[in-house]
Amino acid sequence: MSNSHKNNTSKPSSAVKNAQSIPAQDLLDAMTHAGVQDVVMVPDTHQRCLIDLLDEKLEPRVIRVCTEDEGVALCAGLITGGRFPILQIQHAGLYACVNNLRGIAMDGEMPLVMLVGLLGRDLARTPRDNFGSMVRLAEPLLDTLGIPYILLDGPDDLPQLADTLASFANRDGPVAILIGAEPS
Amino acid sequence: MNTMNEPRLQRDDAIDSLARRRRDEVVVSTMTAIGPWMRNSPSANNLVCTGFMGGASTLGLGVALSQPDLGVWVLDGDGSLLMQLGSLVTIADAVPRSFLHVVFHNGVYEVSGGQPLPGEGGVSFAGLAAAAGYAEAVCFDSIEALEAQLDQLLAVSGPVLIELMTEPCGDGYQPPPPLLEPTREPFADNWRAVRDALEK
Repeated sequence: MSNSHKNNTSKPSSAVKNAQSIPAQDLLDAMTHAGVQDVVMVPDTHQRCLIDLLDEKLEPRVIRVCTEDEGVALCAGLITGGRFPILQIQHAGLYACVNNLRGIAMDGEMPLVMLVGLLGRDLARTPRDNFGSMVRLAEPLLDTLGIPYILLDGPDDLPQLADTLASFANRDGPVAILIGAEPS
Repeated sequence: MNTMNEPRLQRDDAIDSLARRRRDEVVVSTMTAIGPWMRNSPSANNLVCTGFMGGASTLGLGVALSQPDLGVWVLDGDGSLLMQLGSLVTIADAVPRSFLHVVFHNGVYEVSGGQPLPGEGGVSFAGLAAAAGYAEAVCFDSIEALEAQLDQLLAVSGPVLIELMTEPCGDGYQPPPPLLEPTREPFADNWRAVRDALEK
């Protein structure tokens, strides 16, 4: 197996600005403003500040699941029943639920919104240039599956989040929102 | 513990029994239950799971949590449930009140030729559900016993799991034909049709 990725990470890319933390409250405000009703989650260490905020509130409703596979199917059921859920997971969970992503969200043309934390990311590098495979392979996997995504690398990217959430009703497939730096 | 040498009920008899009691419930079916259920109980509220084995239970839970006053039945397979066995815990934790989880326990992977399930003969899905926290979990190996208790079980505040010890039938599952032309997967239209029916 090629180790070329290791060479790619030998030094930070000069073109990359360090990813910045986004206040968890801003993420929650964006979700609330967009009308998100349920957060289906396998707890993600990277997003723990957001989880703490969610746990303090009744809305959006938090639904915990045992696996990300379950999370995809549960969100699909909620959408079928007329709700607007978000699936909140970690990058490792993205890899764990590929079959349900394919069979339910992609083949089913289901407007599944995933909030994916890039735990352990070297903030000075793009996710693709990170050494750790969990960070490095997230975007290539989404590319392979043909799932569109946005990368939130700081507060300046919040308008992208708002636009993505606002597109829920008109989507005919899943979308991923990658959280680049741990929210504060 | 029921083994393959002990009496089992016929899957289609159990399907008939359920279909006769079905009103406006959303019914999520998967694997070999799909064909006989769709023939016995056609409805705009039928969700059919193909292409994502194991997903039926939490798909049904999502519908149940979206519309708590609506009954949701999941017609699951034993091999399917084993693929996402943790869903028993997720369902029990969510406490859907009108949720019936039926597991057809025929002991084999029928679709792929009848290979035995891991642990067959030593696994109780009703026992697993009870341990996970389902409000009620029972096992039947005769249609008479199912008929005698089904109405009462349908009145229980859920989640409820019914394990049915069924005979493998060998003819049940017809895989979908290959999609010869670029088109949509049936599930893409199916869930939208159910959503639209629920909005009315």
